[in-house]
Amino acid sequence: MEPAEVEFLAEKELVTIVPNFSLDRIHLIGGDLGPFNPGLPVEVPVWLAINLKQRQKCRLIPPEWMDVGKLEEIRDQERKEDTFTPMPSPYYMELTKLLLNYASDNIPRADEIRTLVKDTWDTRMAKLRLSADSFVRQQEAHAKLDNLTLMEINTTGTFLTQALDHMYKLRTNLQPGESSHSQDFW
Amino acid sequence: MAEAYFPVGPGLGMEENFLSLDDILMSQEKLPGRAESALPRLAVLMGQGAGSDNFWLLSFLQGSKLEIPLWLAKGLHDSKRRIISVELPKIFREAWRTVFSADANVVDLHKMGPYYYGFGSQLLNFENPENPEIAQTILQTFIARFRRIMDSSQNAYNEDTSALVARLDELERALFQVGQKGLNDFQCWEKGQASQITASSLVQNYGKRKLAEVDG
Repeated sequence: MEPAEVEFLAEKELVTIVPNFSLDRIHLIGGDLGPFNPGLPVEVPVWLAINLKQRQKCRLIPPEWMDVGKLEEIRDQERKEDTFTPMPSPYYMELTKLLLNYASDNIPRADEIRTLVKDTWDTRMAKLRLSADSFVRQQEAHAKLDNLTLMEINTTGTFLTQALDHMYKLRTNLQPGESSHSQDFW
Repeated sequence: MAEAYFPVGPGLGMEENFLSLDDILMSQEKLPGRAESALPRLAVLMGQGAGSDNFWLLSFLQGSKLEIPLWLAKGLHDSKRRIISVELPKIFREAWRTVFSADANVVDLHKMGPYYYGFGSQLLNFENPENPEIAQTILQTFIARFRRIMDSSQNAYNEDTSALVARLDELERALFQVGQKGLNDFQCWEKGQASQITASSLVQNYGKRKLAEVDG
């Protein structure tokens, strides 16, 4: 899976906007949205929010976890724990990137938020690599990791599955198994 | 970013993949062995004694030492009709095995034959009392070096990686590439380049003349 596909899935998340136009309820295949009244907050999927923002038809309200204090808490907790802490949103990385790129004027202290999210991401990736290494070293049969987001899995997934494939094949060498490989032609 | 060509990977194990280029190159590596029966006039196959008429120069006597490529050794190996017998290459013997078990990270696997894992797995085809130890050593070497490959491939962005891959064998290099690709894809997405339209790598080499040059 490519990062762009993960971002596509992330755009289904809901975010609050304040439109400056009015529109009746719209009926889409995925569900109903609206009605839109100027000045009244309404929840829409991120893809629509970004689109409206680019056309300057709304103002984005940052999600309640996208705040410097809260993110600092999350980052510190991530550094303390050995396991993965639950993230405020399963798509925190994508939402951060999208909202900060398109609507940074609506989000206070955007640069600090970007740094904090990056720090948390780095910590989680380091933990993921550590756990992958101990998994391989002890040749476990399976492992369970909670609270991982799709983007993290996607970045390290291909490498890990290929390495485990190789390890599996090398491990089946240990059992001699059937020795019927030789074919006698005479 | 679809690839135009999907290579067949090496069949890492006791069987090779027939269509894999890596396996074909790997099976060209030489094993030390000796001729168990006399091989009259076959020395030319091994590249010796070409162009001479002397029968003794052109043949191998029983017991003479040979360096046989793996594909030939596998074909001629038969416990009933003793044509050749193979010995283990140096790096799979006792001395080197202890080096690997002490610290596998310092060994330059590229110099030791760029196909250490594949070649080692193929050696298990020949009956040899040390086979379980060889298999165990290969597995443990891979596990020990895994951490370093993972760290270096996931952290080296936009750098010259030739120093990092210099000591890896071909299998590890392929893994390194995969790790780099994951990292590059993520960084490219984060910079926003994932949604930019770029010319496909397939057509970039066509070198079409631009429209302005064609007119006039």
